[in-house]
Amino acid sequence: MSRRASIAAWMVTFVAAIACASAQPAAKTIALPMRTDGPKSLDPAAGSTTYDNMAAVQFYETLLQVCYYDESRFEPLLLAELPERLDDGKRYRFRLKEGVRFHDDACFPGGRGRAVNSDDVFYSWKRLADKRNGLKNWWLLEDTIVGLDAFKEAQNAALDAGGSFDYDAPVEGFVRVSDLEFEVVLTKPVFRFLWVLTMFQSSVVPREAVERYGQDFASRPVGTGPFVLREWVPKQKLVADRNPNYHDCTYPEASLWSEEDRAAGLAEAAGQRLPIADRIEFTMYVPDQPVWLEFQQGTLGYIELPFDYFSQAFNPRTKRMNADLRRRGVGYRAVPQLDMIFRAFNMDDPVVGGYTEDRKKLRKAISLAMDLQEFNDAFYSGLCVVYDGPIPPGLDGHPQGGRVAGAPRGPDLELARRYLAEAGYPDGQGLPTIRFYTSQGGNNADQVELLRRQLGRIGVRIDVQLVDFSTLIELVNKRSAPMFSFAWLTDYPDAENNLALFYGPNESPGSNHWNYKNPEFDAMYEQAVVMGPGPERTALYERMRDMVIDDCPMVGSLARTRYYLTQPWLKNARPTERFWSWFKYLDVDESKR
Amino acid sequence: MWSYVVRRVLYNVPIFLVIVLILMGLLRINDPVAARLGKVASAEAIAAERDRMGLNRPFPEQYADFLWDFARMDFSERSWDQAQTVGQVVFPSIVPSLSITVPALALSAGVSIVIGLIAAANRGKLIDRALMLGAVLGMCVSYLVYIILGQKFGAFWLSERLGTRIFAVQGYEDWTTWSRPLNALRTWAHYCLLPVLISVVVTMGYDTRFYRAVIVEQATSDYVRTARAKGCGERRVMFKHLLRNAMIPIITRIMITLPFVVVGSLLLEIFFGIPGMGRTLYNSIINKDFPVTQAIVALLAAIFIASNILTDVLYAIVDPRVRLS
Repeated sequence: MSRRASIAAWMVTFVAAIACASAQPAAKTIALPMRTDGPKSLDPAAGSTTYDNMAAVQFYETLLQVCYYDESRFEPLLLAELPERLDDGKRYRFRLKEGVRFHDDACFPGGRGRAVNSDDVFYSWKRLADKRNGLKNWWLLEDTIVGLDAFKEAQNAALDAGGSFDYDAPVEGFVRVSDLEFEVVLTKPVFRFLWVLTMFQSSVVPREAVERYGQDFASRPVGTGPFVLREWVPKQKLVADRNPNYHDCTYPEASLWSEEDRAAGLAEAAGQRLPIADRIEFTMYVPDQPVWLEFQQGTLGYIELPFDYFSQAFNPRTKRMNADLRRRGVGYRAVPQLDMIFRAFNMDDPVVGGYTEDRKKLRKAISLAMDLQEFNDAFYSGLCVVYDGPIPPGLDGHPQGGRVAGAPRGPDLELARRYLAEAGYPDGQGLPTIRFYTSQGGNNADQVELLRRQLGRIGVRIDVQLVDFSTLIELVNKRSAPMFSFAWLTDYPDAENNLALFYGPNESPGSNHWNYKNPEFDAMYEQAVVMGPGPERTALYERMRDMVIDDCPMVGSLARTRYYLTQPWLKNARPTERFWSWFKYLDVDESKR
Repeated sequence: MWSYVVRRVLYNVPIFLVIVLILMGLLRINDPVAARLGKVASAEAIAAERDRMGLNRPFPEQYADFLWDFARMDFSERSWDQAQTVGQVVFPSIVPSLSITVPALALSAGVSIVIGLIAAANRGKLIDRALMLGAVLGMCVSYLVYIILGQKFGAFWLSERLGTRIFAVQGYEDWTTWSRPLNALRTWAHYCLLPVLISVVVTMGYDTRFYRAVIVEQATSDYVRTARAKGCGERRVMFKHLLRNAMIPIITRIMITLPFVVVGSLLLEIFFGIPGMGRTLYNSIINKDFPVTQAIVALLAAIFIASNILTDVLYAIVDPRVRLS
């Protein structure tokens, strides 16, 4: 063999050998992306990010869950039936589902997971009050359950005094009826309480595991969820196997699905035992290119299409998927977000803050100078919904067509200039440069250039400060940022969650970042928070929305629509971001893989 | 020599202490707690978290604790960002970094020295100009462009064309299973070879020009003329005389890059999803994970000091004129 032929043979062998290294996945294994460096903790009490949620809900479960077939509703998960509402919503009676067991784990006698009982629910919720868990999720139950706030104060005080946090200390609002039945007494009949029970932070965890694993509990999940942890390499991958002892849970019945979903084949798996897949494998992706390339290679079951790649998959004008992807049978779903992207004013700031007419006119002038549609077209491929006020599309209180009469929606430069003059700054003269803070991530550097140009048209100058997210939050919490920008993703599908951002007592460092204080608004919020859905509550939401629009503590808003692409071999996929336990419904058509 | 090494180590202890002091001070300029708790943190939650993270303790106490732990190589402090100890975060990231940087350094240094020699031997000729033009072109293009194109064409496009996946688009698997060396090599090549090749292409431009300049400088020295006058062949002049004398700048350059070999290549690790030290350090800074940042930077400082001392020792070994005193 000549030398050249020998080298060629070696190269072919080497290439073939490398190719063999990329083994095909086993049957019913679904590779899924996490577009970040992944969860920081698998402990529901310590989690807060979308990715903590995405990971934790595979292992832990809540009493209620958002319906896969209708995200505006919830249904029992660990409960046998929806909770019974007593005393006009001040008390709820719960009945746990029989036969729900924790994962088999060494923390239980004999290694066999025991049945879930009422005490597990109380214990799990008490963990949110334990300051050793960071208190980052305490806001979910704060001022909600009779005696829980006092329990928190007393136990954390005991910790500070060198004692211990006594989880056995009673809470008046937790009433144990039997192993499977209990009642919860609320301080007031807050409707959001039931939505909180769908949120992963309120998941049920076994005390034995928490006590046995201590700090390592964050990486050793022992729950009741559809999957059990196989491997977690932080910031790289997370692999979970089907829970062989998963409780009796089936795919939603065909009658529950809409006609459109039925036509899409989503009802075909009706009645099937969950989870359907044997294994799910999450891979963490930080830059966008690898996730897009790996989806095209057919490796990943679905992806959330990065905005920058939208034009590669869709015609930006018609929003029609390109021929190549259609030919390959790739499916897609446009998922509107309960989203609020805004530019905010600090109402305590001496220049842009305040409630007098001239201050309002200054803020409105700024709002009128801005063209949110231009932001949408330039940075979001035109996929956002532009709307007035703080209530995103899909929620009660969202304005019809996204517009509210009299809202300072730009661009209206003539009116902006008039308001600016009436505020005492004709053509911006005499107005100091406004310091504007935003985070460095994404395309924010480009966005602020557009903002600078838009505001410059009426003579308003901004001093842009691109800072990392932690600095931004710190400045906002300290009320040092006169104007700033970020986004709010609604936690549960109730506008109350968005309106809480303007409730006076939530001012910085709470979620009311604009430090908006309006006693009339606060009174209406307190009234709305105990009301169930209905026209009366919607009317109240609308009045509160209009009040915010009139006082103008923010310019906005934009709600993103994300496009999810799914492989032809991925069955039962109806991607959503309202909840993340829908992977248990996914199936694989091996013949199409 | 050993007394010299001990003395140099002792001289460098204050430098190390100052580096750690500055690092810890700088990290604490901005409060990391708010970032960890997100947009809805209450004052109480912030206070509880600060307490939990140990930031309420006096700064000298935090400084002394860190140094004491570092001196004992005790990395059992919990990471603030991950459900692991600092040791569990930092140490597993060393091998992935070395999997890229060691082959990349060896390849790029070897190839660049050879190209530098060829270019220097043909100084002013077409081959020299062509090689230097290639080097300049290599330097002109951004690292990021190589990575993006490498990923798109080297991993994705090639796989599509060949119908089999030669290189991974991204990801990493532990390949250090010595019981099956062929498998280990295959896995390494699948995940690491493409980043290594990209790294070599990028660094070769700089290295080749540097090594050529060093060799050209040596080639005009008197001893080279003397060697030639004595009748030495061109190969002997090049490898026996010239290369040996050029070793001091070559060693300096390689030793300077050593600490960065350990800390990895940030861009490559991020884009290729390789869980190396560079990415770990970057993540720890972004996520304000002070325990991990402090540990990695302190390790890096220690390695940098060690490599400086080692460089001096190597000078003495390769050049008899150098005496350690």
